[in-house]
Amino acid sequence: MTTITRETESLLCARFEAAIPSRVNDDAHLVWRGRHLATRCLIGIGETAFVLRIDAGRIAECRTPPPLMSSCTFAVHGTVDAWEQFWLSPPPPGWHDLFALSKRGEVRFEGDLHPFLSHLQYFKDVLALPRKGGTA
Amino acid sequence: MSRAPIEPIVGRYMRVPILGEACRVYFEEAGQGIPLVCLHTAGADARQFRHLLCDEGITDRFRVLAFDMPWHGKSYPPQGWEDREYRLTTERYVATILAFCEALDLDRPVVMGCSIGGRIVLQLAHAHGERFRALIGLEAADYQAPWYDTDWLHRADVHGGEVCAGLISGLIAPQSPAPHRHETLWQYMQGGPGVFKGDLHFYRADADLRGKLGGIDTRRCPLYLLTGEYDFSCSPEDTVRTAAGIPGAKVTIMREVGHFPMSENPAQFKRYLLPVLEEIAASTPAIAPDARGKDRT
Repeated sequence: MTTITRETESLLCARFEAAIPSRVNDDAHLVWRGRHLATRCLIGIGETAFVLRIDAGRIAECRTPPPLMSSCTFAVHGTVDAWEQFWLSPPPPGWHDLFALSKRGEVRFEGDLHPFLSHLQYFKDVLALPRKGGTA
Repeated sequence: MSRAPIEPIVGRYMRVPILGEACRVYFEEAGQGIPLVCLHTAGADARQFRHLLCDEGITDRFRVLAFDMPWHGKSYPPQGWEDREYRLTTERYVATILAFCEALDLDRPVVMGCSIGGRIVLQLAHAHGERFRALIGLEAADYQAPWYDTDWLHRADVHGGEVCAGLISGLIAPQSPAPHRHETLWQYMQGGPGVFKGDLHFYRADADLRGKLGGIDTRRCPLYLLTGEYDFSCSPEDTVRTAAGIPGAKVTIMREVGHFPMSENPAQFKRYLLPVLEEIAASTPAIAPDARGKDRT
């Protein structure tokens, strides 16, 4: 990894932590939309991993690095380029949606995707929060 | 007289046989002049064209018609649907469009379809071009690479409407106005179980048209392909590649538009559609005012 990429990754991680969990838990309607959701998932930003514990739509915990031997139900891994472009407002074509990123090989989904797909718009909206003023 | 604004759209039902099955098809129309038949996207319905149907800049020269395919919107599935899995095929799709046009005795209509409607427009150009005045494919390509497993669209432990809308939400451009975005998503939330997945059977399994579009005569039936820059399902590259194999096909890439131009951002879409419709109208002999309603039922 180059120095520039490492710096970008650090900035992206700081942006992620500034939005999550506070901007999720402060949004009563977003929490309500996830009221039946309880899961642990991993969000990868480049080489940095965050583990989110979600309980009834609230982000109960957001930790990096993940605790030793922690397990997650599913993971969303994105490259530094993926999150950098995805969080632009507006994001450029082809970089504006998690599945657009997946199709171009910049994001990969792993694990048991049932919690993710049964609450897809919730997760899309949560992961777009670092993009100020944008929509997923 | 009503105190509330009443839109010019008129909705009616027709009873028409499709592949030997009696179908009750709901359609809406507005305007007069050249018939313009609009085909909705997979898993949605003709409400996607409501802005077009209310646009006097279009309906003053075009009789705009939009129908709900059987299984969609207000068109029920044919009797016996409960005993089989719904799977749209090229044969059924073409038969539905031709049956609709014949039932209304439309004189060489223009057909404009979006997504799966854009794909079938290519098939119409290939196999039935002489029947149409012009064809317009929105988000159209002969093939596009899949980007998710359609089994997620129809299973008991995932809400079908919510997962369908959640998946396609990313196909709407970020610039599209929020009310139009959410209205587009609402249509997907209202689809019947397995209908979106059944439509995608046509898209993914039945109608790979690569190498099968020879013989399209765009001098006889002009073909226009318009694709939004934010459509990553049918990308601009997919449309350009398709057009490269069809001499005379005209391509427009629409800025700040995704996969649902007519419903996600009607004002932006109109900027691109109007020149196409003007070109079609200019190549059509003027219809005398007293003959304008001749295509009406």
